[in-house]
Amino acid sequence: MRLVWLACLGFGGLLAAAPQDPELNVNSRYLVETVIVAGDGWSTDLASEPNEKISVGLRRQILALIGTKLNPNLLDDLAARLRKEFQARAVSHRLKRGDQPDSVRVVFEIKVPPTRFDVSVPKFLYNAKQGWSGAVEGTGAIERNSFTLGLVSDQDELVERYTGLRARYENTRLGTDRVRVRFQFEDYHDQWNGATRNQLLLGGGPADLTSGVYRTRQNFEPVVSFVIAKPLTLSVGTSFERFEDQFPAAKTEAANALLATLRYQWQLEDSDTRQDVDAGYSLHAATRILKSDFVYLRQQWTLHYTLRRGKHTVTDGVQFGFLSGHAPLFERYVAGDSTQLRGWNKYEIDPLGGNRIVTNSVDYRYGILDLFYDTGAVWDSGQPSIARHSVGAGFRQGPFFLAVAFPVREHRPDPIFMVGMNY
Amino acid sequence: MIPHSARLKISRRSWLLAGLTASLFRARAAVNLTVHFDGDNLHVAAPQLHFLTGKPLNRLQDGSTVVFLSQLTLLREDRLTVFRRSAERLTLSYDVWEEKFRVTLGTDGRSVSGLSSATAEAWCLDNLAISALGMAADRPFWLRLELREADPRELSAVVGDSGISLTTMIEIFSRKSRTDRAHWTLDAGPLRLADLRLGAGHKAQKG
Repeated sequence: MRLVWLACLGFGGLLAAAPQDPELNVNSRYLVETVIVAGDGWSTDLASEPNEKISVGLRRQILALIGTKLNPNLLDDLAARLRKEFQARAVSHRLKRGDQPDSVRVVFEIKVPPTRFDVSVPKFLYNAKQGWSGAVEGTGAIERNSFTLGLVSDQDELVERYTGLRARYENTRLGTDRVRVRFQFEDYHDQWNGATRNQLLLGGGPADLTSGVYRTRQNFEPVVSFVIAKPLTLSVGTSFERFEDQFPAAKTEAANALLATLRYQWQLEDSDTRQDVDAGYSLHAATRILKSDFVYLRQQWTLHYTLRRGKHTVTDGVQFGFLSGHAPLFERYVAGDSTQLRGWNKYEIDPLGGNRIVTNSVDYRYGILDLFYDTGAVWDSGQPSIARHSVGAGFRQGPFFLAVAFPVREHRPDPIFMVGMNY
Repeated sequence: MIPHSARLKISRRSWLLAGLTASLFRARAAVNLTVHFDGDNLHVAAPQLHFLTGKPLNRLQDGSTVVFLSQLTLLREDRLTVFRRSAERLTLSYDVWEEKFRVTLGTDGRSVSGLSSATAEAWCLDNLAISALGMAADRPFWLRLELREADPRELSAVVGDSGISLTTMIEIFSRKSRTDRAHWTLDAGPLRLADLRLGAGHKAQKG
């Protein structure tokens, strides 16, 4: 037995001695001429073609191989990173002779699983004033087609709490990578805060600009997206929304609208800093042409800018919203939730929401520590706008966030505690 | 009365089974393990053993490094009791320009380049040896050669942040091979050092 152990020790020495030594591969004497990355129906030579599919950081690491002696261990590391970034089944690499003598071309091949299933939690939140909100989704995908079925209960996003299911079909490559199509169906049961009901019962002012409360709401939304240029995407579609009013009598109304969204996402990364810009404009135009009972125009501009440098991260989010016409409650703007005017209770600001909104949120993050300052106003046209402010602090690690936010006002501060993920 | 021809009728299933069995026996019988004794160490040769084929060969030709783990085991006559083991690590790569193989030994770092597939296989086996020190010259024994393509996950499990995991290392050769990794086991015996000293290699086989 002692001999067996001795043999094992010797064998262990062998294993430890060699696996990381790139010189063991005879090709390590050759220069890397170029690197080619190939995926499902696409291939790019990174030395000569920019490729937006690969993140800036990873692309830079791959490009650093070119002109240097081959290091097979680096290829394994980069293959692992590509696999993670593309959520691929496997990423293999192989060498080919280069055009020049004693040079090689490295080819990474990304193999995407033809079918996959994933369960995700797009949102989970506890807000001390609004209670729980959350969503869970299961997605099955066959090549470029994905089918999603989800359950949601949310009192954070709108004036109402909507609870129900959503189903979605998406094709991310309709003939070309530049065209995507999505069909979404939602079926919700709605619950209302007492402040909202009371405001509607009082009537007048904003109550005359919107619908009454409704007990159920269904929406069918087909949307086609076009990638105009890589950072710029245009989505157009329609929303066929119908809801069953509770008061004064049960009846079904429709809010059918044309949808258009223009989105610009841009990223700049150098050795020390990374900047992300996400700007968007969305338009909802409900019209009689679509047999809508409500006629309105809802426009919204958003801009998010993030600057990262080491452990420091600064984020600024700006939002402007303008709603004209007679729009149902789910289209009205809300602040005092988990992303805007954090620390304020939205039912205290305006229990019916508003048809104008301006908000700005600044976050400074060092490591997991997060400090934020929110300001903004929600109001109705013809009414005075009141600017509100809030400050808070919390911890953010990946998608998880825990925070306490304070509204800035004269009388006693009434902090709001929030904890959750992906919001 | 059952006709004679009906009694002798062989079913399609039997033919299939017989065909499979025959091909298996042919495959097993094709690989011989030859043992040589130089006075101190036992050496092996297996000219019919071709391990640079299939997926390992494809990986090599794609420019990857492929590692084979080998183990020679001296067994008592009962073929169960282990007398001694000797392990070796064989690291191979394939020159995409010269289309030749390079092999590096784990024990002493010796390496040789410019080999064809057959010479690379032969060089690997030529450099496997196990000491016969302490063995009685007239006592029968068996010699087992195990050769396995190393799974990178096995290697990373053996050599981790906390050092070398001996438990994992023993498990590598104790557990059944993964079906997608090439592996071979060849036995030679019963042998006696006294017979091997006579000069001629002694061979036996096991697929």
